Amino acid sequence: MNAAALNPFSFAQGRFRQWWQARLPLSDTITLTQRNVYILPTRPGFMLGATLLVLLIGSINYQLNLGYLLTFLLAGCGVVAMHVCHGTLRGLTMNLTTPDAQFAGTSTTLTVVLTNERASPRYGIGLAVLDATHEDRWVWTDVPALGQSTVQVAFKPERRGVHRVPPLTAETRFPLGTFRVWTVWRPSAQVLVYPKPEAFPPPLPPGEPRAGGVVTARAESTGEFDGVRTYRRGDPLKLVVWKKVAKADELVSRDSQQAQRYELWLDFAHAGHADTEHKLSRLAAWVVQAERLGLDYGLRLPGQQVPTGSGEAHKRRCLEALATC
Amino acid sequence: MLTARRSGPDDSAFARQAAPVAALLRLHSLPRDGRDTLFLLLVIGWIILPQVGNLPLWCSALAGALLVWRGWLAVSSRPLPGHWWVLGLLTVALIATYLSYRTLLGRDAGVTLIVTLLALKTLELRARRDIFVVFFLGFFTMLTNFFFSQSLATAAAMLLALLGLLTALVNAHMPVGKPPLSHAARTAAWMTLLGAPVMAALFVLFPRIGPLWGIPSDAMSGRSGLSATMQVGNLASLVLDESIAMRVKFEGRAPPQNELYFRGPVLSTFDGREWRPLQSRLGSRSLLALLGGTAQLQVMGEAVRYEVTLEPNNRPWILVLDAAATPPVVPGFETVMTSELLWVANRPVTDLLRYRAESHTSFRHGPSSIAALPPEYLELPAGFNPRTLALAAQMRSDPNLAGRGPQALVQAALDRLRTGNYHYTLDPGVFGRDSADEFWFDRREGFCEHIASAFVVLMRAMGIPARLVTGYQGGELNGVDGFWIVRQSDAHAWTEVWLAGRGWVRVDPTSAVAPGRTGSFQRLQAPRGVIASAFGSVSPNLAAGLRSAWEALNNSWNQWVLNYTQSKQLDMLKNLGFTTPSWEDLSYVLLALVVALALTGAAWTLWERRQHDPWLRLLMRVRKRLAHAGIELPPTTPPRQIATVVTQRFGEPGRAMADWLLKLESQRYARHPDVSLASLQREFKQLAWPTP
Repeated sequence: MNAAALNPFSFAQGRFRQWWQARLPLSDTITLTQRNVYILPTRPGFMLGATLLVLLIGSINYQLNLGYLLTFLLAGCGVVAMHVCHGTLRGLTMNLTTPDAQFAGTSTTLTVVLTNERASPRYGIGLAVLDATHEDRWVWTDVPALGQSTVQVAFKPERRGVHRVPPLTAETRFPLGTFRVWTVWRPSAQVLVYPKPEAFPPPLPPGEPRAGGVVTARAESTGEFDGVRTYRRGDPLKLVVWKKVAKADELVSRDSQQAQRYELWLDFAHAGHADTEHKLSRLAAWVVQAERLGLDYGLRLPGQQVPTGSGEAHKRRCLEALATC
Repeated sequence: MLTARRSGPDDSAFARQAAPVAALLRLHSLPRDGRDTLFLLLVIGWIILPQVGNLPLWCSALAGALLVWRGWLAVSSRPLPGHWWVLGLLTVALIATYLSYRTLLGRDAGVTLIVTLLALKTLELRARRDIFVVFFLGFFTMLTNFFFSQSLATAAAMLLALLGLLTALVNAHMPVGKPPLSHAARTAAWMTLLGAPVMAALFVLFPRIGPLWGIPSDAMSGRSGLSATMQVGNLASLVLDESIAMRVKFEGRAPPQNELYFRGPVLSTFDGREWRPLQSRLGSRSLLALLGGTAQLQVMGEAVRYEVTLEPNNRPWILVLDAAATPPVVPGFETVMTSELLWVANRPVTDLLRYRAESHTSFRHGPSSIAALPPEYLELPAGFNPRTLALAAQMRSDPNLAGRGPQALVQAALDRLRTGNYHYTLDPGVFGRDSADEFWFDRREGFCEHIASAFVVLMRAMGIPARLVTGYQGGELNGVDGFWIVRQSDAHAWTEVWLAGRGWVRVDPTSAVAPGRTGSFQRLQAPRGVIASAFGSVSPNLAAGLRSAWEALNNSWNQWVLNYTQSKQLDMLKNLGFTTPSWEDLSYVLLALVVALALTGAAWTLWERRQHDPWLRLLMRVRKRLAHAGIELPPTTPPRQIATVVTQRFGEPGRAMADWLLKLESQRYARHPDVSLASLQREFKQLAWPTP
């Protein structure tokens, strides 16, 4: 039980928030109206109120008619500022571009397009993921008159799987900072989150003898399957692994013999002793590594299997299997 | 394009001109932080500037230096000084304020502190909170300006300052990029413009109530009214207090208005700053000498009988018309007359007091020989007003006046007031140490206190016994009940000079400066400024026109803004139909206005939420009619599709409807629609829509 649950007030607050957010409609496009834009005075707003009170008392006590004028003009500006502040968000249309699949734990962005159908610009609109807590989560933008602006909101998926995009919030304090106007938006788009690849994975597992092939001891048992060997004179150029060459500064060939005899299976059962999530995260790291090496690889998970193959589509298919299993 | 360059001295002039231009260009290329800070500093400087004359020299210098220093830090993008700097400077300022005023409380010390704090806080612009503190201190400083002047010019300057502060505040809430300040300025101007009606409504309707609690005595010194002493020149402006001082009902005909001098305390002792009554210096002298006045008063002509209702003023003075030889009949009080003709009661008037009195407007009083006159009537403080003394010596030695006696000298002084470009104003600014010198030679304007005080100083300097009399002058006749209403704003100061053989003679120098001040209701003569003088030499007609426009403007400013008091508010309520208005009624009107506005806003929101595009509304009506006939269509169905549905469903009878729908479509989408929406609406009503 965490600390928030122990404090009855914050517990109730949390429950209320959950209930409130669950009521919000799910939509990738939202047009802000009076019904979904909220407004409250800020601390400087209360400070301005106190200032007005002191100015008024000063004017009364010293019988300054010009002081009354100043106080009331300032109060009038405060009232107008409240409407301007609310109007900055009201009538704005926000549209979320469907996000690409991401690895868990990596920082990425959600692209939101803001459309202003008003003949005057809207200044100082900030967007953020609702529950993000870090300081610089806000992205600020102005939306030109009768125009659009595009905002990249920082977003860090924590868990793998298919998730709904987290609720977003937009806020403005323009023009005087005396009021905070905000909205909460639940987009309906879903984002596929792959497991977080292990940071320092062990080498790829050894290959398995190809079914139906001749089972012999491995000729060059280096203890690891990387499917490559140093270049030998006479190797055809198409066997050269150019990616590796670029890194190692020596010619490396694909070990066609090994590749013919063995095939690489990334198996859930052989991905270490750790718990499921760690295993998935290791498998994800292997998939990324095998794809980088240009190998053929297959994925074996409890209950499903991805046949061997290579290429971007194959990698995506494997990662998707890892994300959703 | 400049094709040929001139040589010679013009080059250096060009270079001199180029330097500020380069600085401006550099200003333009400053990073956003620097530019915003500089702008804010400029606005703060503008707010403090009108105060400079009223602040101690060290305070103005410190504030100026701090602002310049902060500006330099902003331009050169240097870090701000540490907290110890600010704390140290604050301590120094507190000590200096205490040394200047011997207190940290009160109005003047408070103003000094606020200005210093505002300048100091600019050194601490770190977080958003600091910026707000600067803004709110700025608003206070603007208010403190009004302690010293409430003139139209001050109002204009502070309006500009308010726009500047709002611009800076709006700009601080535009977090993206480096938007030009003009964008923020436009928003600020719009907000001020839209806020103005709120201001007007609140200004008119907010109940004017008295001070909420006792405040330092300097607070009320700017108001007209009577007091036991009079400081000359420390009031920059006079607020006319419209509250009623007394009501007078004459039996028979009232004397002419310019003879209605209600006598209050007489001030005869002057120390350079302050006028005090004679007795305060007499101390141990016998009271009898003072109270022997009655014997020296001889009244002439017919008596004026009247009844006075005096508002409580917490003073023991029984105000009567100059001069009452017989004691006024004051129930419950004992009265006695001083040698200066003031009737004094045995206790202060704390409740509404009604009394009857009998006065003679023509009278003589005072000793017949100068030897019987106390010497105080000729005393002047040493070392004050040297130029007035020189003027007195010059007038006495003037061959035109020599040998014609004191009366000619008095007349010469009055002529000087009449013809020497002297003006009556309620807003003359604060006078310095030599108030008479400043009035006679520098400012040449002031209200009755300045004029009377300067006049008495000149008289005494010429060897003519003189004293200052305060009281009320004039009043207005209420045509309905026949009462004369004397308001606090009718408070006046005039002088009396002693002339051999005539005794004390009343001289009202204010009427020489502003003939309208006494005798009619006009209180203010328009000041003649630099611009007006400049125009005067160009085109006299234009100048006269401008001057009367300026006078009218200034007068309405005085009448409608500075002079807008509770009595005017209640008058306005009477015009609105309240029979017995009170300040609670003002609150009700204000409340009603707020409620009406809120309801209007709600109604507008409701209307806005509804579909109010006429074309779409027409389409919606079509859908409704069809829904009646059992044809449910989604709200997104375009007219052409509806037309198809209608022809399919009704065949030939639906043809007219389908044509109409196609016309509706072309009205919206054709490049040059040949049919108006109004005619379509008419046709809509004539169409035979299907019935279920």
